[in-house]
Amino acid sequence: MRDRLSFYILRESPIHRMNPLTKLTLVFSLILLAFLGPVEWLAILLFTTVILPLSFLAHVGREFLSATARLLLPVIGFLFVMQSIFLPGGGTALVQVWVLDITLENVNIAFVNATRILTMISSFLLLLLTTHPSALMSDLARRGVPGPISYTVTSTLQILPQMQVKAATIMDAQRARGLETQGNLMKRIRALLPLVAPLVFGSLVDVEERAIAIEARAFNSPRQKTSLVEIDDRPIDRRIRWGLILVVIFLLGSRLWLK
Amino acid sequence: MNLINSIKKDFNTMTWVLIPVAIAINIVIGQFVVLLKLPVFLDSIGTVLVAVIAGPWAGALTGTLSNIIWGLLIDPNAFPWFPVALLIGFVAGWCAIAGLFKSWWRVVIAGFLIAITAALASTPIAVYLYGGITASGSSFITAFLIQTGRDMVSAVLSTNFLVEPVDKIATALLAFAILEGLSSRYLARFPRSENVAVAKGGRTTQLIVAVLVTVFLVALYALVFVRLIS
Repeated sequence: MRDRLSFYILRESPIHRMNPLTKLTLVFSLILLAFLGPVEWLAILLFTTVILPLSFLAHVGREFLSATARLLLPVIGFLFVMQSIFLPGGGTALVQVWVLDITLENVNIAFVNATRILTMISSFLLLLLTTHPSALMSDLARRGVPGPISYTVTSTLQILPQMQVKAATIMDAQRARGLETQGNLMKRIRALLPLVAPLVFGSLVDVEERAIAIEARAFNSPRQKTSLVEIDDRPIDRRIRWGLILVVIFLLGSRLWLK
Repeated sequence: MNLINSIKKDFNTMTWVLIPVAIAINIVIGQFVVLLKLPVFLDSIGTVLVAVIAGPWAGALTGTLSNIIWGLLIDPNAFPWFPVALLIGFVAGWCAIAGLFKSWWRVVIAGFLIAITAALASTPIAVYLYGGITASGSSFITAFLIQTGRDMVSAVLSTNFLVEPVDKIATALLAFAILEGLSSRYLARFPRSENVAVAKGGRTTQLIVAVLVTVFLVALYALVFVRLIS
């Protein structure tokens, strides 16, 4: 059903070597600044001067741009057009479409909203392209996120591809039996149950076996567990994190002060 | 301490193993629905399932992680909406404790309550993060309501109240159908299996009552809605 699961691309770069928590701090700093920063055009500034160059520094520039174009441009393009046309208020009319005025003020607001979403989602995208989800989870687990939670995430990452294969098989099997997956709405609704039922019951049956298996492997033991994969946390990572936190505090503080 | 203990009791090994499967169910059924081009999302069936048999906290965790994983693997646009998924799981769990997952017509009410929660929870995200008009198709309704002179918050809220009930009632009904299909021996291994009392026999009568409740609720809802709009 999907060609590739997870966005991660294995490359050699300073961003890939960075600790996952450092990248996560970067993402949240960018989001905070884009939404709450002292000036409204900060979002587009951050995208062009921080996120975009970083993606090229990480050697994933091409993939970053294509994922942004595929996932983000439709979303923010739609948002921009809809908000420009339909937001109420505003004074300076630019163009008149039918009964609606497109005003300068609304285009401005729409632009700010669209660039904020762009910065928010694309900074996550940068994190996902350069960090493997299980590396992120094991680093977070080492820092005190409860073990079962990181088990849940990593285990989902393994189960999901298997289940998608199973889903595709069920789809093919039911179609071979003459199940109609096209046609009018009633037909399509009726097709849902024969697809969902085998998939869900099949995977729920596995749950019990897996529970016994992990209980036998000290899942419930309260002792500290060791990890097979060690994730670097260099002193420079710590410095970058503190630097980012200071920048965020400074810029958000400057906004309060400017008021 | 009592609260923490009762939460801990909800998270036995079966719960922890069920959660990943439930998240995968959310995502795969969500993709089935896209393939069949149905006008609903149905992306929280697994969340409701966990919430019913493992309690509200497990439901809330499933919803949250579900959105995070959706964001990690498929589309980062899912991240900002995680509070909605969290509350769907949480409210579904309390509905189950209140006994709303014991027969078909009660499930309809549970679905309705979940829908109201989802509508309320997604409004602030849509308004303050996305500036009111988001990237979903229902924004056309919001845009229309704004043009008729409504303020932003009430326009977004009305849109959500309009689109959520169908989706969430269908979600709750499908989750219940799955629970009914599972054996009681299997369900008994989960911490809150007593939430589902599978009443055997008289299924046709039950289904008729469920349909009647749905019709009644929708009619009542439409009436209140029209009153509020005009």
